[in-house]
Amino acid sequence: MSGPDAAGNGPLIHRRYVLGLLLRLCVNFAGGVGILFVILYFALSRPLPGDYAGIYVALRNLSPFLRPILAVSVLVYALLACGSTAALCVYILHKVAGPLYRMELVLDQYRSGGATRTVSFRNDDQIQPLAQAFNQWIGTLRRDRQQWLATMRDAERHCLQDEATCRAEMEAALRRVAEDMERYR
Amino acid sequence: MKHPALKPPRPRIRYVSPRFQGPAVLAFTAIIAAGGAIFWKLVDAEFQRVFLHAAIRGHYSFGSAYAIVRDLLVYHMAGLFIGVLLTGSALVLFLAAATKHGIGKAVASLRSSADRDLSKPTGTSPIGEFERFGEKIDAARSDTLVSVRKLRSEAASLAAGGISPEEFRLRWDELKQRIRGIAP
Repeated sequence: MSGPDAAGNGPLIHRRYVLGLLLRLCVNFAGGVGILFVILYFALSRPLPGDYAGIYVALRNLSPFLRPILAVSVLVYALLACGSTAALCVYILHKVAGPLYRMELVLDQYRSGGATRTVSFRNDDQIQPLAQAFNQWIGTLRRDRQQWLATMRDAERHCLQDEATCRAEMEAALRRVAEDMERYR
Repeated sequence: MKHPALKPPRPRIRYVSPRFQGPAVLAFTAIIAAGGAIFWKLVDAEFQRVFLHAAIRGHYSFGSAYAIVRDLLVYHMAGLFIGVLLTGSALVLFLAAATKHGIGKAVASLRSSADRDLSKPTGTSPIGEFERFGEKIDAARSDTLVSVRKLRSEAASLAAGGISPEEFRLRWDELKQRIRGIAP
């Protein structure tokens, strides 16, 4: 897990992450094309007869089967490449979608008035500065809240004296709190 | 009796965002499918022509049909690989740029919130998921701003005076309680 300050000013998406995705896609596509090549190689590598008539008949007979052979081999390529690429994309994009999902849960919890925890992502997750920025915001809110409450508590201490002083101190504290709250825009 | 430590680990869900991961997966599969379809069309037409030509001329020097079309096949496969790879790479770069743009705006919005600016909107993003996420952040900021404004108005109203001591004390305690509700 990363701490609140870790990777705060780091990049949202690391170059290594993008290069890793490109490399994996490259291997994936190469594998797909390799499989397509193997299928077509085996389909077309039957030996031809040695004489002219034999070659003519063999090649003419091959033509009607060529389209289905190509169609099946391309279909196998497409299915394998699409399946593996889809799995790869889901896995790789999870490093962005996962933190985003977690942040959404925290935001929902915050809006519902529940206790807001500090957000931290896994080390290999992307968009780390998002967690840092959210924690920074919540930190500011909490500091301000503590300051407002402290101002009010200070005023309450004067209630040990006479009623008028207590009321005057409390009203002064409220004015300071309201003034401080004006910074929110 | 089941021991909690012996519980099998829960499977991790990778497909968490159908609105982000789904379209990306569809875009990649569309690229592969389009590449395959183009390859099929081109190779089919070329092979038909080449085999007809070879049948008429009688290629004694070739041992198999593969030997006749080997160069053509390799050429088209290289084209398929490079075409799909380049288009896929462009998509990856677009996704990375859109993520940086969309999440960058959300980060900037949260950072300005830390400076107590809760009214500047997060802004739009080319990817719907990030747009929706920005709206969620804006909603949270807006809720906070409304709460703080209400508290400020209540504090100002109490500070103005003209309230009986009993009511003042009641509203004072209530205000304290409401302040405690900010980012609990």
